[in-house]
Amino acid sequence: MNHLPEVWGRPRNDVYGAYDHSYLQGSHPMQHTQQPIVTGTSVIALKFNGGVVIAADNLASYGSLARFTDVERLKQVGTHTVVGAGGDISDMQHLYEKLLDSLIIKEEYQNDGHSLRASHIYRYLSRVLYHRRCKFDPLWNTILVAGWDDGKPFLASADLLGTTFSSPALATGFGAHLAVPLLRRVCPDENAVKSLTKEKAIETIEECMKVLFYRDARSLNKYSMAVITGEGVEQVPLSGEGKEKVHVEWKKDITLENQSWKFAEGIRGYGAQTV
Amino acid sequence: MTSIGTGYDLSNSVFSPDGRNFQVEYATKAVENGGTAIGIRCKDGVVLAVEKLIGSKLLVPGSNKRIAMVDRHVGLACSGLIPDARHFTSRARSEAASWRKFYHTPIPVSSLADRMGGYAQAYTLYSSVRPFGVTAIIAGMDEEGGPGLWMVEPSGVGWGYFGAATGRGRQAAKAELEKLPLPNITVKEAVKHAARIIYFAHDDNSKDKDFELEMTWVRHEKLATAESGEGIVKGWGKHEEVPKELVAEAEKLAKESMVEGGDDEEMEVEE
Amino acid sequence: MNSRHTGNLSVDGVHVDMEHLKKGEVNLGTSIMAAIFDGGVVLGADSRTTTGSYIANRVTDKLTQVHDTIWCCRSGSAADTQAIADIVHYHLQMYNVTNAEPPATRIAAALFQELCYDNKDNLSAGIIIAGYDKRHGGEVYSIPLGGSLHKQRYAIGGSGSTYIYGYCDANWKENFTEGECVEFVKGALSEAIKWDGSSGGVIRMVVLTGRGAERKIFFPDENYAGDGK
Repeated sequence: MNHLPEVWGRPRNDVYGAYDHSYLQGSHPMQHTQQPIVTGTSVIALKFNGGVVIAADNLASYGSLARFTDVERLKQVGTHTVVGAGGDISDMQHLYEKLLDSLIIKEEYQNDGHSLRASHIYRYLSRVLYHRRCKFDPLWNTILVAGWDDGKPFLASADLLGTTFSSPALATGFGAHLAVPLLRRVCPDENAVKSLTKEKAIETIEECMKVLFYRDARSLNKYSMAVITGEGVEQVPLSGEGKEKVHVEWKKDITLENQSWKFAEGIRGYGAQTV
Repeated sequence: MTSIGTGYDLSNSVFSPDGRNFQVEYATKAVENGGTAIGIRCKDGVVLAVEKLIGSKLLVPGSNKRIAMVDRHVGLACSGLIPDARHFTSRARSEAASWRKFYHTPIPVSSLADRMGGYAQAYTLYSSVRPFGVTAIIAGMDEEGGPGLWMVEPSGVGWGYFGAATGRGRQAAKAELEKLPLPNITVKEAVKHAARIIYFAHDDNSKDKDFELEMTWVRHEKLATAESGEGIVKGWGKHEEVPKELVAEAEKLAKESMVEGGDDEEMEVEE
Repeated sequence: MNSRHTGNLSVDGVHVDMEHLKKGEVNLGTSIMAAIFDGGVVLGADSRTTTGSYIANRVTDKLTQVHDTIWCCRSGSAADTQAIADIVHYHLQMYNVTNAEPPATRIAAALFQELCYDNKDNLSAGIIIAGYDKRHGGEVYSIPLGGSLHKQRYAIGGSGSTYIYGYCDANWKENFTEGECVEFVKGALSEAIKWDGSSGGVIRMVVLTGRGAERKIFFPDENYAGDGK
């Protein structure tokens, strides 16, 4: 008797012909999310002396349709960190409400006085994003992680491919083109962070949100901002004594102010016309 | 236990002729040797307290916590075999996490207690396993039911309580709990009672052993309504350790009450 | 094996073709909506189902019950959304009996989202969930194509909804009475039916309150007038 199970009970090959194995092949090409559907636009962030400020508007677009105008794209994760996401909103919700929430709850189980800091959240997120792109099933987002880590401000980005990098001034999406040059004017490199005040940083971010509203057709004049400030030692001793004190200040439902439109009155025609 | 050694106590899957499962009864014995654990259900939350017996002076004070966080709004205190308790806690965490994954909302306390009861009961059915040597007190606060306090026993049975006690000092603790006007007190009041009851139960049952008092509470994060309002507070609670100052104060009061109580007893003995 | 659909993109590569259906599939090219008022919630829908430009059913019921006072409006593929609604219906019944309490609206919304998000590659479903319970009152959730979940005070969906964004934004008010809310839904849907070729027929409504679920229906030959009974 033939010991191969797949031929048991089958008609004889010499009489009826061989079994068509193409019916057995369960693996055909799989296709996953290949485009974002409901999307959020830029996230921008800037380090300053003693903290980081991060902002994102409240719009979720459906193509060019401004579909939802009350979406919070920033999320506080634990005590030290605020994450901001652009790109697909359903993937953002998956990241925020499934992965990060359960990560933090698992951390709280320990109840050992320690909490995940910004760099830990960032490593976790970048690993998840890279893992998903390796499965050819990416989470269609670009994220910024802002927070406090080891006595210093922390800011880094990760995207759907698992690309990671860090800079004292960062922006995703349209902001990478429009906001980064403006942010770099006040904070060109890591050294400049020390001489940048919180007030100046917030003012710069507000200015960038305004420019983005002027020039990004998928943006909204309503946004959220989080300011993470910290003070404390560079190395946390094992005892947990002298831990960093981190404060996250939220500003939600901010409406853009001091816009400049009046000059439109002076614009007439498109060439020689003056009336 | 009159029928010990009749041969019907060796397997979970065999009843004794008079319809008992001895393995479950022996598991209950294991619980009766554990440190006392109590839960008090109040109008604005729930308090958990355990008498953590210290086996060695070499252990770091405050280490080896005996009350676990199961989810943000649920705490679990166990009495009995510690490794069994760890596993039981781990299962409770899995249940709470899977509920969150499925329903995108925290698990109601009664549903968690129900699932844990089912889990414990499954370990009374098969000859390949033994029941949990653990009685678990599950305390939490949810949106629909408000404060919830449940106790799941090795048999898998689980009841809801106003005041629950297990472990070696349970009799003394229950007697004290019954005197309280539950659930019409606040968690802040209950903290003092809990400390006193644990000290009292300790004094009654394991006076010669060292112990640490461990206390947590679950209460609504918006305290305003809880402090001033009448009736039961509803909403998702937060499980956390009782602040150090409050524990210290409660412990001080508890010790004072013991001294008074102790004097009385000594006087009685002298008489 | 090559029958897997990928979704058709229009020229800008961002707009998704809502109607990307399997061959011969029945489409709910639709106008659906739901809105809360003080004490409850109203769901509304047109009744047209098309295959291509042929009206396969002119009296369709797109308002589907998944629990006593939790209902949904379905848009996209009829087959997909019916299958999803059936699964959610099962889970909510199980929830009710195993937890000895009725599910909250957001539990239903979470179940819908779970299915729509996890199977986004194989589904074309745009669903609005609306429900009433004593604790939370009326609630409306919207789940668009990608499977994200959005809590809203009113939600519109389907191909016809694009014509009534302005109408709804201008006419919706906080603290509607029940009667005002019904008029709002009716006004919006009749505009959607007027301008969208894929929407038409009668306007069906379901009103969810402490009284339970009540149906209403309005007819095109009566200009959608009448009390809806």
